[in-house]
Amino acid sequence: MELSVVLVIAVALGFDYVNGFHDAANSIATVVSTRVLSPRVAVLWAAFFNFAAFVVFGDAVATTIAKDVVVQDVLSIGVIFAGLTGAIVWDLITFWFGLPTSSSHALVGGIAGAAVAKAGFSVLVVEGLRKIGVFIILSPLIGLAAGLIITLVIFWVFHRNRNVERLNRGFRTGQLISAAAFSLGHGANDAQKTMGIILALLIASGHAASDASTPLWVVLAAHTAIGLGTLTGGWRIVKTMGSKITRLQPVGGVAAETGAAITLFATSAAGIPVSTTHTITGAIVGVGAARRLSAVRWGVAGRVVWAWILTIPGAFTISWLTFQVVDLFS
Amino acid sequence: MDRRAIFFFGAAVVCLVLVPLSDGYAWVSTTVAVVYVLLGAASWLDARSRRRL
Repeated sequence: MELSVVLVIAVALGFDYVNGFHDAANSIATVVSTRVLSPRVAVLWAAFFNFAAFVVFGDAVATTIAKDVVVQDVLSIGVIFAGLTGAIVWDLITFWFGLPTSSSHALVGGIAGAAVAKAGFSVLVVEGLRKIGVFIILSPLIGLAAGLIITLVIFWVFHRNRNVERLNRGFRTGQLISAAAFSLGHGANDAQKTMGIILALLIASGHAASDASTPLWVVLAAHTAIGLGTLTGGWRIVKTMGSKITRLQPVGGVAAETGAAITLFATSAAGIPVSTTHTITGAIVGVGAARRLSAVRWGVAGRVVWAWILTIPGAFTISWLTFQVVDLFS
Repeated sequence: MDRRAIFFFGAAVVCLVLVPLSDGYAWVSTTVAVVYVLLGAASWLDARSRRRL
């Protein structure tokens, strides 16, 4: 395997690592903010289930990323490198400002930007991008509805229970399971995006056939990278997700994580690359809205929405510029 | 009208707008729209009954 291919695979795994520490907050923010686990243990817990996801889920999302964003012929080592660079730089910028934006959409925007820089807008796969675009909006709405409905069901089932202390203890234990489920969904959907990029790279460089499925070493490497990223965690975003959108009790944590996990399991199985950040943010808003709309701090939620809107154009532009530089040297 | 109900009905409208764009996943957009209509109706009835108390 050529050195350039190895280097770009390393950059892809670097993106996965950044995704892990950027999105670690999503998995553990509610567990930490409700003090069910200490930050250190919560990070270990999430990292383990991020890694374990490879046993449970297939590679449908990886295939979508590899084949449904831009036409395969345009993908070259330079395009993938520029795309990854745009996504990583955008992730780091939003990480610095503590904004829970989507690494997934940064990746889609990045790859699209680099491919357009190489061959123009005709290389974009409109149907694939439309599917991803529709779920940019649907995934937080599904998470919101799921979080809200689960909260209402829990309230309805336990409304006669007067032993609040015991109930809270039960939900604190329940949060361990819901956080594990969400981390599993996060590992499945997000690690697969890196798997998709590496698969596209292997196909573009002639190391895999165009109809090949993802090799096992790619699957293991991607899940290891996201797990390691989660281990190093992102505390600025934990703070925004865990306390600034709405104040959460253990019961709310269980509802939010379970709602988001269900959404991620379904979309991962269907091969739809959604944002774990969008999904859990929607679910947390749903839990807050089950009490009343004013329980949600809409100013923070609105700031998050602006970051979502800017992610694809932002990563697109950085990748476009990066490809121009790469092209100068190649 | 209850602000929460308006929010849910608004979300239902957004989902319905997405139906023609959803290709093979139109059923997902439709189902989510129906869920938000039901949530909106339930929220409106809840607010109405609270006002009467």
